[in-house]
Formats: sequence, structure tokens, C-alpha cells
Amino acid sequence: MFGYINPLKAEMKMREYEIFKAYYCAVCKSIKKKCGQLPRLALSYDAAFLAVLLSSLSDVPLQAKRMNCAVHPLKKGSVITTDDTIIEYAAEMNIILAYYNLKDSFKDDKSLSAAFGSALLKRCAGRVKKKYPQKCAIIEALLSQQEKLETAKCGSMDEAAEPFAGIMQEVLCYEGEPVNKKSGEILRWLGYNLGKWIYILDALDDIEKDLKKKTYNPLIYQFEITEDNPDDDLETLLGRVEFNLTHTLSQISSSMELLDMKKNKSIAENIINMGMLAKTEQIINKRGAAKKIGKSV
Amino acid sequence: MENPYKTLGVKENASEEEIKKAYRDMVKKYHPDQYRNNPLSKLAEERLAEINEAYDYITKNRFSGRSWNTGGQTNSRNWNTSGDFGGDPEFSNISSNINSGNLDYAETLLNRISNRNAKWYYLMGVLNLKRGRYDVAYSHIENAVNMDPGNDEYRNTLNRMNMSNSTYRNNAYNSGYGGDANLCNTCSCLCCADSCCECMGGDCIPCC
Repeated sequence: MFGYINPLKAEMKMREYEIFKAYYCAVCKSIKKKCGQLPRLALSYDAAFLAVLLSSLSDVPLQAKRMNCAVHPLKKGSVITTDDTIIEYAAEMNIILAYYNLKDSFKDDKSLSAAFGSALLKRCAGRVKKKYPQKCAIIEALLSQQEKLETAKCGSMDEAAEPFAGIMQEVLCYEGEPVNKKSGEILRWLGYNLGKWIYILDALDDIEKDLKKKTYNPLIYQFEITEDNPDDDLETLLGRVEFNLTHTLSQISSSMELLDMKKNKSIAENIINMGMLAKTEQIINKRGAAKKIGKSV
Repeated sequence: MENPYKTLGVKENASEEEIKKAYRDMVKKYHPDQYRNNPLSKLAEERLAEINEAYDYITKNRFSGRSWNTGGQTNSRNWNTSGDFGGDPEFSNISSNINSGNLDYAETLLNRISNRNAKWYYLMGVLNLKRGRYDVAYSHIENAVNMDPGNDEYRNTLNRMNMSNSTYRNNAYNSGYGGDANLCNTCSCLCCADSCCECMGGDCIPCC
């Protein structure tokens, strides 16, 4: 996935961080079991967050085991051993999204690493597709919708973000225990906003790169940014983007409050209320060169 | 009904003050304003109703005789667009379509209207808000407010969007976000250094 979803370590209790890491390791081990060693490189914190969030709904008490790790051979780490179907699902979603992402970036810039990566994940992604044919068909339809918007040079960040928002909505829509009709509805809205946040944040992060490479970026079209004068109306851009991103975060946060979480609540709160805000501010500040703009506090 | 103490997140032997505080926090958290024009508003209303019911139950059984029913009235209010559009049947029709979630149909109807006044921009804004298109929504509603500055409904909707953002931020700041920047830098430097060490197989700070 994209690696924008991180906990804010400084405000986390050690125990919480240990649990988060144990989820991360569990997803990693699940990828290894399904696809072998190398695809583990595709793992991101996003998938660990997905596992934390979905398993928060199950009332099975948390259990972990100390295990050896091939990636860090010198130390043993805790690995979550409960809610294994959820962890497996997070691993599968990580693989399929990484696969689509690599395929897409190969199409864009023909990079060797993307070609290698997508070839590596192909067989495993095929298995995931077989297991979730409907879900993957929806994701593929949304990806081609995204491609259409990109070719049409869509000049609205809201519209351009919608297909990816739909994809994340689909990803969060885990079917089966412990997700019921009500929490499914909440997860869909949370997922929609999560996808939107990732897409727009990624667009903001990539403005310079896209200007140079002349690749599509909705913000370049919406705010008519040119290479000669990239910071022409930076304040308007940052103000509008910051409002939009903060509003998606507020929706994610209020959706989470409606979930009936049986565990992991403080971890999810740390990630949604602080980690994601910190990431947003980091990227906005990077772009605005430490200019604090439009802060409503 | 679930255990009312569990609903409020307090222990059964909690003091009256603790229960009141938990109740007030919960009402704030699930207040309809936080979920207005959002597909989860019904669920938030249900949750608030549960909280009110739990609080009512506890107050009746514990400190009977005192009335403390401040949040009760929020349930009965209509939290969608008011539908009061000066008797204009077309706008009222669009408004009720937006409220019941027929967003595509409402959009078709709106696009057919050529006279784009403040009401039009407001409804277009709310429609986009429900879709999750916040940038578009904000521009439209701002437009409506500028065209009809005296309209409370337009202004309130705009204010509420701003409010959600500051509530979210305040939440973060209240939980310790944005503490001493220098200290944070020091920590993240340490963490970075530690991550580098970890790559090479060593680990100075075993917890991260």
C-alpha cells in the first residue's frame, strides 16, 4: 500500500506499541506462509492497521507468541496468534493492492523494479483473486475508472480521489465474523474516507515529482500549477487541501467512535487521531516550507 | 437494554460526578452535529439514544429525585436539511431526495435547474457533503452563504464543517499531540538511529 498510516510512537504506551508490532509481524508471517519470503518486502504498516482495526471488533482475547524472524534473525519478537482469519485477510489485501500498485507504476514509468515486483507477486495475487472474485472485480473496475479520470485530466481532487476511496471501502469491508451489518456500514464509510485521505495526501506529496515527470496529478490541474511557477497560489492550495484532509480525518475518527471495539481501541485512536494527523501536517509543512496555514485551532 | 454502566463506560460503583462526566463526554462525542450529513448519522443517533437511556436508567435508580436530562431533546430533532425552502416545491423535493439518500437522482434534478441561486448552491453542497466530496461541498456552501448571508441554515452547515475539523484537532491536542517539539525531534532522531542499527542487526532501544 502506501505507508502513510503510522502510529505516533511518541504518544504510544510501550505495551500498545508491542501489540501493534506483533500484529505487523503476524501479517508478515502470513504473507510468508502464502507467498514465500520475497513478497514480505511489500508489507506496509497499512496492512497492520487493517488487522488491528478489524480484529478490534472480535471479542477473542489477544494472544501472542515469541517467534523467530527471518528478516531480523538476531531477535525474537511477539506475534499475534489470535484472529488468524483477519490477519490472513489483511495479508491478502496487502498483496493484492501492492500487486495492482506495482502493475500501475510499471505502466506509468516502465521501471525495472516495478516489473520485477509485479512479476514476483503475480502468482500469489492470482490466488487472492480466486478467493475473492467479487471484491477483486470491484477493485479492478474502480482502477480502470481511475485510469479514465487520469486520462481525462480530472481537475477536482474530490472526484479524482473517488475510485481509490471506493477501493479502500471495499478493502475494509471484511465479510464474516466479527463484522456485522452495522459495523460493516461503519467500516465502509471509514474506508471511503481513508482512501480519500491517502489519495489526496499522496497527490500533495507528489506535486513536484509529477511536475517534473509531467505525470497526472489532480492538484496540478485543479490549482493550475505550472513548472515555472509552482508556488504561485500555494496558500490557497494548502488551505483547501488541508481543510479537505482534516475533514476526512474527522470523519474517520467519528466513524471509529461508532465501532463497538472490544480491544485495540487505544492503538486505533493513536493511529487515527494522532499518527495520521502528524503525517498530514508533515507533508503540508514540507510543501509549505514550515509555513503554518489555515490552522483552525 | 445492555448494562447501562457498560454503555457509559463507567464502573458500577462510580461516583455521581464520574457518571455525569462520562455522560457529558459521550453526548459530546456522539452529538448529531458530529455526524450531520454523513451516512452514519442514523447509527450515531441510535448510539446517543442508548447513552441517554442508560443515563436515564442510572439516574432514576441512583440519584432519584434529581432531573439531569439535558441530552434527551437532541433525539427528536431533525438533523437533515430542513426542507424549508420558502414553499418552492422543486427544492423541497430535491431536499427530501438528498435526505433519503437518493443522491444520483437529486443531482440530476439539480443539474436541470438553470437558475442557480443560494438554495441551489446549498443543496448541491449538502449533496456533495453526503458523498464525501468535502472540497466541492465547502465551496458550494460557502457560495450559498455569500449569496444569502442572512440564512442561518447555510451558515450553520458551514460552521459545522469547520467545527468537525477543530473537534478532531482538539481531540489530538488533548491526548498529548504536538507536545514539546524539541523533545520529539530528539526522540525521533534516536528512533531513526535505532532503526539503522536494527538493519545492521544490533538494537540499542529494544522496544522500537
